[in-house]
Amino acid sequence: MTGDTHYDLEVLAELAEGLLDDTTARRVREHLAVCDPCGESLADLAAVREVLAAMPVPAMPLGVARRIDRALAAETPDWDRIMRDAPWDSAPQEIGPWETAPWETVEPLVAPPVDTTAETAVETHVEPEREAAPVAATAAPLGVVADDGTIVPARRRSGTRTAGRKASRRRAWALPAAVAAAAAVVIGSGGLATGLLSFGDSPSRQVVSQGDPGQSPAKVEALTYSTYASGHNYTSRELRGPLLGYFGVAPGLGTNDDEDLDTCVKRFSTELDRTPIGVDKALYNGNEATVMAFWEDKSSNAVRVVVVDSRCHKLRPEVLASWK
Amino acid sequence: MTDADLLNRHLGGDPHAFSEIVRRHRDRMWAVALRTLGDPDEAADAVQDAFVSAYRKAGSFRGEAAVTTWLHRIVVNACLDRMRRKSVRPIADDELIEAVEREVPATDHAGEREVSLEVTAALKLLPPDQRAALVLVDMMGYAVDDAATVLGVPSGTVKSRCARGRAKLAPILSHLRNRSDLTRVSSGKGAELRDG
Repeated sequence: MTGDTHYDLEVLAELAEGLLDDTTARRVREHLAVCDPCGESLADLAAVREVLAAMPVPAMPLGVARRIDRALAAETPDWDRIMRDAPWDSAPQEIGPWETAPWETVEPLVAPPVDTTAETAVETHVEPEREAAPVAATAAPLGVVADDGTIVPARRRSGTRTAGRKASRRRAWALPAAVAAAAAVVIGSGGLATGLLSFGDSPSRQVVSQGDPGQSPAKVEALTYSTYASGHNYTSRELRGPLLGYFGVAPGLGTNDDEDLDTCVKRFSTELDRTPIGVDKALYNGNEATVMAFWEDKSSNAVRVVVVDSRCHKLRPEVLASWK
Repeated sequence: MTDADLLNRHLGGDPHAFSEIVRRHRDRMWAVALRTLGDPDEAADAVQDAFVSAYRKAGSFRGEAAVTTWLHRIVVNACLDRMRRKSVRPIADDELIEAVEREVPATDHAGEREVSLEVTAALKLLPPDQRAALVLVDMMGYAVDDAATVLGVPSGTVKSRCARGRAKLAPILSHLRNRSDLTRVSSGKGAELRDG
């Protein structure tokens, strides 16, 4: 193939990559020996590799690295909160949730004879996530719930790693379930107790008991908001807004009848001291998630977005988004 | 301590082990994602998803490949998923420049920024599979066999994707051929091909 006819770039690239069969390769090489334009094309192909190889390899920006650290920290069980949520008084460890692995701070203790049934759960106390109102509780034993429901002492970190620690980490997750189960009994007699797990700024705990006449139903159920179940798989970018298209296009379903979700929404409502614009049961990066939108500043079109998993743990840091 | 040791420690409950793995490899993962997606925001999301995914499914690591290969595969798949799922928004030039310049020491090559933008824009013209192959082989300098393991395809497929990708890029980038500041860092393979 000589004269005005030339091999196209793909064939030449395949030649360079050794992909042509011997016969074809020999023919192309013979052509290259006499065809300057095809030789130029081959040099252009080589230049592509050089240009690509010369591109700088950027280091990960610090902000991205920190963001990933936070996301991974969120994957670690937050023992501090787990223990604080337990149906017995706990000794709050005044550490940031990501600073220290919980099992490094847990003392070896003997478990108290704690009964996790409903009778002991009339006092249910959950701290807001922020540390503004530390509980001045007496140091009380900490423990984990074993597979059979009994409380076993938490172990101090040992120098050797064993499979047992992993098992104990798993068992620790039974705690919130025990709290929820106990709380559900209380909820059951009083209808949807949206005020059950209330998060006031006061360090005093909210005491809710069955038939407590001191609790005004109108007061504890004041929170109303629109819920959606779009099932949409949100990305980080979408959650930066505008959100109107996700929350504002159809009427919501009114207050939701999912008690766990309601508790979770109420928690953030109280923490942020405002009612959500809407709550969407959806997905975030493929994971089941609840997306809550709160006005940050209506006049400047700013919405605060909270994304949590089914355990009401944040899946991403709160960020501001635009509404429309 | 090897990456595999760290992964085992992570599985055993060591809360710091996975962080160390991330610290060791995040720059490379970032580079792969940024080059593949051409968008810092998308790259950040992809790398975060990938590391979280690796954290969760560390138990599925079988040890046949290096931990780095395993991580690369997760990152590349996260990038490819994003590219296939939706069309990534057009590149915001200043964002990419900013992301690159934030961490790369400023050099005195006036044209470097333009070259970087041109290359990024050109790469975006390629199908995701070809782009991923070129990023790994030509930009990151991985052997074809390693790239094949990362991409989960035969080596011949990687070569073929690279060849087709280069053929598409050649007319776009040919004017950069004789830049002196490129030849100083030209790849061995590139020089071999050019000279031989």
